Amino acid sequence: MNSSSAESARRRRFDQIVAVFHADMYRYAAWLCRDKAIAEDVVQEALLRAWKSLDALRDDAAAKHWLLTIVRRENARYFERRRLETVDIDNLTASQAALLAEAPNEELEELRESIYELDDDYREPLVLQVLMGYSTTEIGELMGLKQGAVLTRLHRARLKLKEKVADDERA
Amino acid sequence: MSRVNELMNCDEYREMISADPAFDGGAGHLSACSECQAFRSEIQSLNLKIAKAMQINVPEPTLPELPDIETENVVPITAHKTFPKRAWFAMAATMLLAALVGVLVFDTGVHYDSLAEEVLAHLDHEPASLRVSGTPVSNARLAKVVPSDVASPDHSAGLITYARSCEINGKKVPHLVIQGEQGPVTILLMPDEAVTEAVSLDGENIHGVILPVGAGSVAIIGAREEKLERIENSVLNSVNWST
Repeated sequence: MNSSSAESARRRRFDQIVAVFHADMYRYAAWLCRDKAIAEDVVQEALLRAWKSLDALRDDAAAKHWLLTIVRRENARYFERRRLETVDIDNLTASQAALLAEAPNEELEELRESIYELDDDYREPLVLQVLMGYSTTEIGELMGLKQGAVLTRLHRARLKLKEKVADDERA
Repeated sequence: MSRVNELMNCDEYREMISADPAFDGGAGHLSACSECQAFRSEIQSLNLKIAKAMQINVPEPTLPELPDIETENVVPITAHKTFPKRAWFAMAATMLLAALVGVLVFDTGVHYDSLAEEVLAHLDHEPASLRVSGTPVSNARLAKVVPSDVASPDHSAGLITYARSCEINGKKVPHLVIQGEQGPVTILLMPDEAVTEAVSLDGENIHGVILPVGAGSVAIIGAREEKLERIENSVLNSVNWST
């Protein structure tokens, strides 16, 4: 394969992967950083890094896990660089509020707020399990946790949400 | 998750089901504890709502400026995974089984006795759906086959490589195929076909399940070696009909 056709094949491969997994990358980033504008920045950085290291991806069947790992690292880098403060839900920027604004009904909007307010340690495994379809073993691999710790976090996350939903219903 | 502990107490069971709503262990405890049955229903219902709440609009992908990469020393990697021979045999056996069911049903003019039989027979109607493929169906095709009030499928559980509107029990239902770890996995979204409890589909080379979802059900069938739990989670999370 000459250099030109190799470049084209590489670009096609990258475009195909992006087409399939961009939405997952964005949603994961958005729920990690809780800010739509920052999520777009994180995904852009992640795509650039993925492009540079595409040849390290030996099997496209592993592309999703590979990309989400890159997004996770880029999100951490972003916050290391900026040392952002903890988000206060009563004092959101427009970009942060945008994440909460699209819920189709009031019940889901309240639940979305509750997810938003979960600690990172609880929110991230929940996003990986519910939104990305990860098993608890896979979540442990991605987050560097033992399966027991993942189970505990997921259990606590759902109990917190369950209590919040019950509180909202009582109110 | 495969933990099966018939001696679980309520706390242990609730911890497991709230950590993973697809947890299928503790059947002994569950069958004897109505409170834990109610807790499980509550958690599974909550999980569907969480999945819906997490769905956010995604902007059109915009690529950053990509620098040139030195490709002379790059060895091209096949984009599509190969399908192991044993999986081919498994699929062939699956189709034979489905064909047998189909022939029995049509030759005798007998109606299907169960939804499970009809689902299995349906596999034979569209053998093209069981091809290994790395080409996803387009979003336009998905949107056409799967009405928004039925489900919002995406490629999170694996590439969706087949989407067609099919007939089950006289009603049109979306028939999807995603590429699992061990080959194609068939999914039928049946908002009008109620089942009271999960129905296991167990063949020599295939396995699957029909899961109750509100007033309908979802059938998921793959090769015997395929781990379906993750796919089940993803499919259930995509379902939009009233629960």
